[in-house]
Amino acid sequence: MAKRPKKDNPEKFPRLGQLFLWADNPESVNRLVYGLYMLCALLFLADFFYEKHVYLREEEFPGFYALYGFFMCALLVICAKGMRIVLKRDEDYYAPKDVESEDYPEDQLDKAENDG
Amino acid sequence: MAELFPVSFLFFAAALVLPLLPMMVRSFLLLGVPVLSGMIVWSLPEGMLWQVSFFGFELELMRVDPLSRIFALIFSLAAFLGNLYAWHVRDTVQQVAALLYVGSAIGAVLAGDLLTLFFYWEGTAIASVFLIWARGTEGAYWTGMRYLIIQIGSGVLLMAGAVVWYHETGSLAFERMTLGSLATWLIFISFGIKCAFPLLHNWLQDSYPAATVTGTVILSAFTTKLAVYALARGFAGTEILVYIGAVMTLFPIFYAVIENDLRRVLAYSLNNQLGFMVVGVGIGTELALNGTAAHAFAHILYKALLFMSVGAVLFRTGTAKGSELGGLYKTMPLTMIFCVVGAASISAFPLFSGFVTKSMILSAAVKEHYYIVWAILLFASAGVFHHSGIKIPYFAFFAHDSGMRPKEAPTHMLLAMGITAFLCIAIGVYPAPLYALLPYDVTYHSYTTTHVITQLQLLFFSALAFTVLMRTGIYPPELKSVNLDSDWIYRKAAPRVIGVLASYVSQINSSVLTFLNNRVKNTINRLYRSYGPEGRMASTWPTGAMVLSIALLLGATLLVNFAG
Amino acid sequence: MATAEVAVASKTLADHLPVLQVVVPLVTSPLIVVIGVRSLAWPLAFIASVIAFIISCLLLYQVIDGGFISYAIGGWAPPLGIEYRVDATNALLLFLISGISVIGLPYALTSIRFEIGAKNETLFYACYLLCFTGLLGVVITGDAFNIFVFLEISSLSTYVLVAQGAIRDKRALTAAYDYLIMGTIGATFFVIGIGMLYMSTGTLNLADIADRIADQGSNRTIRAAFAFIVVGMGLKVALVPLHLWLPNAYTFAPSAVTVFLAATSTKAAVYVLLRFMFSVYHPSFIFEVNTLYFIFIPFALLAMFAASFVAIFQSDFKRMLAYSSIAQIGYMLMGIAMLNVAGLTSTIVHMFNHGITKAVLFMGVGAFVLKVGSSFYDSIHGLGRRMPITGACIVIGGLSLIGVPGTAGFISKWMLMQAAFENGFWWIAVLVVLSSLLAVAYVWRALDVIYLKAPLDDSVTRDPPLTMLIPMIILAVACVWFGIDTTISIGAASTAAESLLNGSFGMMPTEIPAEMPAEVPAPTIESAPEPETAPAPAPTESQ
Repeated sequence: MAKRPKKDNPEKFPRLGQLFLWADNPESVNRLVYGLYMLCALLFLADFFYEKHVYLREEEFPGFYALYGFFMCALLVICAKGMRIVLKRDEDYYAPKDVESEDYPEDQLDKAENDG
Repeated sequence: MAELFPVSFLFFAAALVLPLLPMMVRSFLLLGVPVLSGMIVWSLPEGMLWQVSFFGFELELMRVDPLSRIFALIFSLAAFLGNLYAWHVRDTVQQVAALLYVGSAIGAVLAGDLLTLFFYWEGTAIASVFLIWARGTEGAYWTGMRYLIIQIGSGVLLMAGAVVWYHETGSLAFERMTLGSLATWLIFISFGIKCAFPLLHNWLQDSYPAATVTGTVILSAFTTKLAVYALARGFAGTEILVYIGAVMTLFPIFYAVIENDLRRVLAYSLNNQLGFMVVGVGIGTELALNGTAAHAFAHILYKALLFMSVGAVLFRTGTAKGSELGGLYKTMPLTMIFCVVGAASISAFPLFSGFVTKSMILSAAVKEHYYIVWAILLFASAGVFHHSGIKIPYFAFFAHDSGMRPKEAPTHMLLAMGITAFLCIAIGVYPAPLYALLPYDVTYHSYTTTHVITQLQLLFFSALAFTVLMRTGIYPPELKSVNLDSDWIYRKAAPRVIGVLASYVSQINSSVLTFLNNRVKNTINRLYRSYGPEGRMASTWPTGAMVLSIALLLGATLLVNFAG
Repeated sequence: MATAEVAVASKTLADHLPVLQVVVPLVTSPLIVVIGVRSLAWPLAFIASVIAFIISCLLLYQVIDGGFISYAIGGWAPPLGIEYRVDATNALLLFLISGISVIGLPYALTSIRFEIGAKNETLFYACYLLCFTGLLGVVITGDAFNIFVFLEISSLSTYVLVAQGAIRDKRALTAAYDYLIMGTIGATFFVIGIGMLYMSTGTLNLADIADRIADQGSNRTIRAAFAFIVVGMGLKVALVPLHLWLPNAYTFAPSAVTVFLAATSTKAAVYVLLRFMFSVYHPSFIFEVNTLYFIFIPFALLAMFAASFVAIFQSDFKRMLAYSSIAQIGYMLMGIAMLNVAGLTSTIVHMFNHGITKAVLFMGVGAFVLKVGSSFYDSIHGLGRRMPITGACIVIGGLSLIGVPGTAGFISKWMLMQAAFENGFWWIAVLVVLSSLLAVAYVWRALDVIYLKAPLDDSVTRDPPLTMLIPMIILAVACVWFGIDTTISIGAASTAAESLLNGSFGMMPTEIPAEMPAEVPAPTIESAPEPETAPAPAPTESQ
């Protein structure tokens, strides 16, 4: 939010965009996150209230999918972060034979500022 | 009338007349041709519909059966959506290339023999590279060259395989093959390159982010899915594919997490999704093949939708890098919503298209007792939600505010995205029509209580992991960087090694040459000693050397003759 | 031989077609000099070429399904008299040579005037027709010594034609000189070989020599003769390592001359090789097979790779094409060495296909020379964009040179690969593909220069005049046409290949009955024992 332009005029945003502006508020983000926690808890508990039709013994373990999803994703991110140590290079590493360090040619774009 | 000509010719004919037409008419032609081809494919009866004799071979240009039909249909649909998205493009080269590319891809899935397949296979390679070159920068030129070399290489392998196959079996028909002989391995690797098998995959992540805004949308639909089709046709039930596919689903997700360029993130996730299809082909049961076909169908749509939304952001802001973007939801809310629909579809949320297709492959895996593979696929499903489902919309439209306030995407792009998003949801809500198109009759119910709840658990807890990591600051931030992948071997290591070798070789070469030169000079000096001063010798020695070569060859020939 | 009677009765003009094929240009040549009017030189040459072309079409039409025409010069029956003998093999070559001449002459009109000046035109076209005559004669004649004579006619005039390039670049003189030395040595070797054959068989008629060799079997003289003929012709063919004259000759000759020479002259020499290897000698001789396997295959491979590598690193478009010609000759020789119908078909078809392909490419280069005065890569930057039609023709020619499917070049390479597989030489097929990759590299380099580099200045804005453009377009279309419709090229070539492998140049009922009047010029068309109507897979048929 640091680079936010001084003359940001929310009235000029599209109607639909204005509807989402609450997402800018840290308070509502927090509320959203708590909502997610609740939802997760409910989903976890749901496993106890229906008859699971599965193929594997492991799948019957309550909350198998939930725990698998959570821990594998955490693992994924941590591994990927570790990979960065080895694999990360500057953006112009392959330059000039690579597009990464180039700007996209302006004449093929239609950059337009939102002006309401 | 549909049997009068192969469907692909429709595209080629359109590509031929297109440059002669005024711009407005072109736009309608670009939309009309895919619609027409879709209608033709829909109405075609099954069978081998069009033969042509080439060089003593009967080429089958129109093999229509359920498997080829569903691919031809989705290709037509994708072409329509891609061209609608590209409505604003005024570049003749891109328009023609897109038509030729789509025509070749459709021709390839309808090809009934390996030779025809080869022609179209190379056609897709050559036509599509112009969508990369059309960007017009030096980087795009080199990327296109790399892409072209690899794609053409795949075609050459296919050709070689076809020739050997013909000499092994006496037939060029493109039917199911068993991996084992040289021919089948050549063909298999050729397919594997186009399908972006692990270690053969790099052209994909290299080139798709380099194409134009609209080019990437079109590229994403055809080449790799053509390869999936070819594998399903030729190598269904080949067990090694299960493991190749599993690895394919796995490694790209790690890269996707740390990749900055969002279009490259999508390319990695495309690779991951191909892995699911390859596993399906490898399992080879009716359910698995149905799953592959259905997943390819749904995948083309949601992947196009994601590329469209990121493309729209690029179109309006000039960048697709996560580190530069953020906060765009305020002024591009529709694009954001469509992006979220695509993200939900690729993540297989219930009521979205991925849910009803991907699960078929997972079920098939577990039914055939590939438990480890199943666990990997499950992990990959969670992972794909992580990087495509959350990361793409989050870093493009939310995250920290970049301060950019671009205008909403142009109407034709919104329309294209809207139709695609509608289709993604429609398939997810009411999958019956898609199931009816599948190659085999299998009754499959995706909406069971267990499936819905377990899937939601998987996804929401993945989201939970993302949230926790994000809020604790463990999640790796988007950084301006590139990550090394196996293309490093041919982009950095090989040139360096070759450079070193070349300097050695040229040293050796020059010393050998000097040696030989001296030798030849000495010989000739001796031969011509009596004929005059140094200066004249220097001017005559080339002719002398020529004559010497004649004498040597005559001697050799006489020797061979008399020895025989 | 009931036809003898008929032949006497029907001595119409049509029966004299074989001799007219050669006589028309032969007579026109001095006519041009005698008339001496500059404005008439080109039209006369063109008319002579057109007539020759029409005759070649008629001849090809008569023999394309097998069979041959035998014509006795001056009514002296062979083997005493000189015999002209047309079958599918040489009819296709006659068609190619005269066709290229008809298409190339309009091109030459502008190009030659620009490159050597109007002053020398009369003599140039006279010389050109002599060269043309010589090539036609080499191909059509059935007499060994006559081949030598025509070979010398074509060679001597070729040296002069190449030397014409000296007006623009003095190095053309050394090129012509080198060519002269090499050509003369080649011709000498060839005539030594013929002398040896005459010594051991007592005849000069090819068919007759073949009969007698078949009767008496091989001996040292006959083997030595074979070696001399192969090496002598190898020089003309530009078989590596005897190719050294070719790059300079092609580079420094005027463009129109290069077009004609590249498309026809080496092909005529390959034809003579074929004739001697299969009609006079026969691959049943083990020494011939040895020569093919141990001399031809290694050197053909060397040509395919070494010359292609050299071509990649050239900085002159024309010179690059010259080296590529050497590489392509490797494919033709490789086809011969396969010793099967597919291989020979590939050789004959490649002679034809490469002829038109190279012609269109050299024409394109000539158009550049016309515009910027040079064919160096440095001076032709971006010309493909400025001269779109020329550029398109070069692209098509380049694709055909690589052997991209849908072009003529693909057909012959495909046939060659089939031939290699038939013999179980799959590694040769692999090498053919690999060397095609080299062709991709050198063609790409040229296309890169003429399309992707920015033009040097704005002086060149349009394609060359129509007289140069139309021949180019015709040949470019032909490159595609013969890549798709192969009825004529493959048809004639496979007929030719089968008859060559059957050794049927004349070994069929050709002994002229003793009671046959000697003065009867017997232009008879005899049907070779037809295999089947469909192209027969195996050459099991013998006479």
